[in-house]
Amino acid sequence: MNAIFFLLPVAVLLGALFAFLFVMAVKRGQFDDLDDPPKRILKD
Amino acid sequence: MEGDQDVFCCSGCEMAAAIIKGAGLEAYYQEREAFPPRPEGFAGDWDALPVTAGPDGTCEIRLQVDGLRCASCVWVTENVLQRTEGVEEAVVSYATGRARVRWDPGKVSLGEVAGRISTLGYRPRILGEEGEPDRGLLVRLGVAAFAAMNIMMLSAAIYTGWLGGMDPRYVALFQWVSLALAAPVALWCAEPFFAGAVQGLRHGVLHMDLPIALGVAVLFGHAVVVTVLEGETYLDSMAMLVALLLAGRVLESRGRRRAAEAATALAATAPASARKRVGDAVETVPAEDLAPGDLVDVAAGEELAADGIVEGGQGSVRLALLTGEAEPVGVQEGSRVVAGSVLIDGFLTVRVTAVGRETVLQQMADQLRLSADRGIRPGFTDRIAPWFTAATLVVAAGAFAGWFLAAGLEKALLTTVAVLVVACPCALALSRPLAAAAGLGAAARRGLLFRSGDALLAMGEVDLVALDKTGTVTAGELEVVEAPREALRIASGLERFSAHPVGRAITRAAVEGGIPLPVAEEVREEAGFGIRGKVDGRWWEIRSGGPGRVSVRGEGGESWTIALGDRVREDSRSVVEEIRAAGRQVALLTGDVDEVAHRMAEEAGIQEVSARLSPLEKVDWIQARQDQGLRVLFAGDGLNDGPGLAQAHVGIAMGTGAASSILVADGVISVPSLRPILAGFRAAAAVRDSIRKNQVRSIGYNVAAVTLAAAGFVNPLVAVILMPISSGVVIWGAFRVEQAV
Repeated sequence: MNAIFFLLPVAVLLGALFAFLFVMAVKRGQFDDLDDPPKRILKD
Repeated sequence: MEGDQDVFCCSGCEMAAAIIKGAGLEAYYQEREAFPPRPEGFAGDWDALPVTAGPDGTCEIRLQVDGLRCASCVWVTENVLQRTEGVEEAVVSYATGRARVRWDPGKVSLGEVAGRISTLGYRPRILGEEGEPDRGLLVRLGVAAFAAMNIMMLSAAIYTGWLGGMDPRYVALFQWVSLALAAPVALWCAEPFFAGAVQGLRHGVLHMDLPIALGVAVLFGHAVVVTVLEGETYLDSMAMLVALLLAGRVLESRGRRRAAEAATALAATAPASARKRVGDAVETVPAEDLAPGDLVDVAAGEELAADGIVEGGQGSVRLALLTGEAEPVGVQEGSRVVAGSVLIDGFLTVRVTAVGRETVLQQMADQLRLSADRGIRPGFTDRIAPWFTAATLVVAAGAFAGWFLAAGLEKALLTTVAVLVVACPCALALSRPLAAAAGLGAAARRGLLFRSGDALLAMGEVDLVALDKTGTVTAGELEVVEAPREALRIASGLERFSAHPVGRAITRAAVEGGIPLPVAEEVREEAGFGIRGKVDGRWWEIRSGGPGRVSVRGEGGESWTIALGDRVREDSRSVVEEIRAAGRQVALLTGDVDEVAHRMAEEAGIQEVSARLSPLEKVDWIQARQDQGLRVLFAGDGLNDGPGLAQAHVGIAMGTGAASSILVADGVISVPSLRPILAGFRAAAAVRDSIRKNQVRSIGYNVAAVTLAAAGFVNPLVAVILMPISSGVVIWGAFRVEQAV
């Protein structure tokens, strides 16, 4: 069970990595316009 | 248009087709679902606009493109732009019709870019300044949601540990990790609530953010102490609380942004230019370079760039922007003309009297903007927040005192924390923004865009609906009411190049009736008289035949009459009936003469009519009804309706109307119909109902939970189960708004 002392922080860090990726996506403007891209794909 | 033989109604369409084919985009003609408006002469001097080049030498501009009616229109516009030499990037939004264009000023000018769009039949306008989307809230929400989920997972392990016995070392580990995850939530994600609470305190108000901030602060402070001393923490509750509240804020700000975008799009303008006389020569200058005393030439189809007095020539002017009425007005030497009106036919030389901010148009717009600033009405939630906060503090203090006397300091502290935790008004704070966001969305999908949730709620209180005539109850455009088919065919041949509203109405009617437009020769248009020309080798002429009619005569003695008029919208009558069925009065206000007003009112099923009202008399009319205690909704479309829109309890502008009426209105109808008003009433009722129910539910929950907590029955597990139940009920209530509309 001592593995948990190592695995828990690893799991949290992995989660934090995804949270960081989400923040980057927001900052690059991927969530600015949620209406357009789904329609755009139909025309290409 | 794709076939063996291409037939065009005018040279503009032919040119548009040539561009589209040249760019290899013929698919547009197979896929389009709606016809674009007719390509018009290119208005405005785009090259006079100041643009600054970026570091890489390219310029960027944001445009509002009018007339994009289907997905294919957007596609063809975007592709034509992208294939224009010198355009680096062009993106047109399907949802809003906005274009962002980046171009190399060395290879192509802005005038050419704008020209490409207008030759396709769409009209580019410049968008005003607008803030960037608020990404900060979304980032905070992302971080808070991530932390909340992880903390909940860890807490679940701790709660399960209560059953089987858990090594205290693991409990300590889980708690420390939870604390580490919770720190950014409390210290950074919750910052907007702290800021709101502090701001409220500074103004001497107990804001709704105060109990939230207090709850978060107490929870986190308590957790820090308890984690060190080894006890039970409420961090899962805190993280979830912050995440849920942030989600509510994100939804609210999206709804508001959408409404603001719609308003700026409608207020976008084309750059104005004028042809100024300098000595014997005429030169084109931007409107802002004009000065009082200058002489300018105005040709048919052009917009006046400044106020002035006619010195020479004659013609008819469309004042729709100012008066809201579609019929052109004749002007001759000595007549006053104002900026923003369009010369329909004829030719004028105008002595400028006022320019820029001094023009009647600008002054009215400024005045409207000032009266539009009328502050936010405090909602019920904001009004009870101080009481709520005060009550919570009193109960917490009471619980602390009671338990301190009965069981000592430690138990007293724990109970007080529990009281503050369950009292945190998450559900109460969520109820209004969520329901309002749902209501705004539901109304917007049905064609009515509101500026704010307050405006939507105010709509539910309306007793009397006052409607403007032109452009609101009626379509606001001259249309062919009755015409023999052959007369329409001949007339459309003669009128197809005419910019006159009568000519356009005839051509449009012929195209819609599936009549192939004949080729006319030797066409001569005489201002104020009519039009003559040869169709099928024979002479024909069209003349004015009294108000609302034109006569078509042929050399063979044929004589037909085409009746034209502004028509009541098809669904106006049923909308009026439904408004009345809901127990509200309906009235028609117009500047038009009695006879027309009464005929239109009868057609639309409205009994109460007030005709011959000037814009200010409309305001007085509304004011008089308000003094009787009625809450008035006013719907109109002209600049002249602006003061009325501002005076009314709820002002609703037509999206096709004057930009300034849209700026001042509480809501904008984005489709050519009055039906969205009904959707607005339903949405207002649903939101009001939802908020009221949610407030009762969440206050009930809080009273029960606080009582339990003060009695010492609440521990972290109970808190974390109770809280999402109350929030869940509120969210579910908000979702029902959409179904109810």
